[in-house]
Amino acid sequence: MQFVINEEIQNTILSLTKDLMDHVNSIKKKKEVLIQRAKIIRLIREFFWEKNFLDVETPNLVALPGQEPHLSPIKLVIHDEKGKSYDAYLHTSPEYTLKKMLAAGFENIFSITKCFRDYESFGGLHNPEFTIAEWYRAHADFWAIMDDVTSLYTHLQTVFNALPVVHTKKIHMRDLWRETIGVDLGRYLNRDAMLNLCKTRGYHPLSDEPYEDVFYRIFLNDIEPKIKDYGSVIIHHYPAPMAALARLSEKDLGYAERFEWYVNGIELANAFSELTDAGEQQKRLEDEQQTRKKLGKMVYPIDTEFIDAVGNMPESAGIALGIDRLIQVILSCKNIDDVLVLPVSGIY
Amino acid sequence: MGDTTDIRKGAVIRHQNDLYVVTQFQFVNPGKGSAFTKTKMKSISTGKTIEITYKSSESVDTVQVQRQNMQYLYRTGDMYSFMNQDTYETIDVSSDLLEEDTQYLKEGLSVIALIHDGAVVAIDLPKKITYRVVEAPPAVKGDTASGNVTKEVVLDNGLKAQAPIFIKEGEDIIINTETGDYGGRATE
Repeated sequence: MQFVINEEIQNTILSLTKDLMDHVNSIKKKKEVLIQRAKIIRLIREFFWEKNFLDVETPNLVALPGQEPHLSPIKLVIHDEKGKSYDAYLHTSPEYTLKKMLAAGFENIFSITKCFRDYESFGGLHNPEFTIAEWYRAHADFWAIMDDVTSLYTHLQTVFNALPVVHTKKIHMRDLWRETIGVDLGRYLNRDAMLNLCKTRGYHPLSDEPYEDVFYRIFLNDIEPKIKDYGSVIIHHYPAPMAALARLSEKDLGYAERFEWYVNGIELANAFSELTDAGEQQKRLEDEQQTRKKLGKMVYPIDTEFIDAVGNMPESAGIALGIDRLIQVILSCKNIDDVLVLPVSGIY
Repeated sequence: MGDTTDIRKGAVIRHQNDLYVVTQFQFVNPGKGSAFTKTKMKSISTGKTIEITYKSSESVDTVQVQRQNMQYLYRTGDMYSFMNQDTYETIDVSSDLLEEDTQYLKEGLSVIALIHDGAVVAIDLPKKITYRVVEAPPAVKGDTASGNVTKEVVLDNGLKAQAPIFIKEGEDIIINTETGDYGGRATE
């Protein structure tokens, strides 16, 4: 019998071959970047091994994801062998599990893992799945994590023969406001004062906007564009209403022990002296859950095991660092897609 | 009125009593705060570029514009002439409006002009344009070993681009006009 391929099948085969070749060709074009990517990740691992950190793997699949009001976890359904179904989520960061490990007695731990966030752009600075390096130090505060960041970045630049090696500056959020826009942030640490400042600067915030949103109107429009000029910079001490999972500073009243690391205007990492007060943690997660409801985001119960972990872990500090963006910065790639084997934008 | 999902290259936005054309935009979600879209836009009246960051929930005053197919004809000094493909009328657009997009223009290229109140406010280029390679240095042995997998080629409109080392003079290649990158050999 003669085997006949009709035109429709032939076209399908042709288009499949073409798609395949698009994938293969796009990967081929990135070969050198992907080799350098592997090298950077190896160097990061070695950096932490040498500092006696334990390299740990946490589950990507969790029953209860984080409550951050502006993140959207990806929801899945999994089944056991009897066909019983369970709701599951891909984690948005390994934070909850790593804190459970701290409470279980692990001290210096790091994890390089894929994380997943829905409703973000396909390309640019985001990809729905991306790589985070997250690490924690027990019996330490955020100053120790700042030292990790500065020495890691210097190490990477040295290996990559960056000329000149850019040293990471540290600046208090209060000083950054003064230097860039001449405003004394100390006078605007509560919502009403910040709301008034925002209006006098020509913005139109809503009367019920939370402190954080009003702060960001000024920060994103007037300050962030100038952060580029600082090169590699750690901005530390955020106003207390923006503490998120950070401890409030005892020395610097009105501020939380939180910092972010920017290189050439791109935000790479967010760090805290971690909150260890279970009651306060419970309260903040309940508030965040309410905000999620208001924003129309998916709502799920609070992970009580996580609350217990927070109450039982030692004083600690930790950080989440976006590895794809760090690679972008080191290899001067403008788009995150340039450093990923097959970004989502190339699949759909 | 629209929202931040309406922001894209070529969108026209009313901001403080002026109209602006979006030239660049980037979505950012820091995770610990609300998401936002950083926008670079150019004033239609003054040509001045401003940077505005919109929060994701914020309303954006987008303005409807007419989209018209045009064909690029030629350049005279700083002016670029296009022909309306429906009326055959010729219009001139200044290099200030086109900015770095001028490098992608070639004779006969079809583009879309955005028109507001009878005036062209922006030119939307096709995302992929095919060019003929007119100059391509031969590949040198050892290039691949030292990590040089691309080389600079010159295209038929004078544009210089990075292409893989196997590309030869006389071949047709595709350039992505959003990134300036090589996008494959043209098969047609």
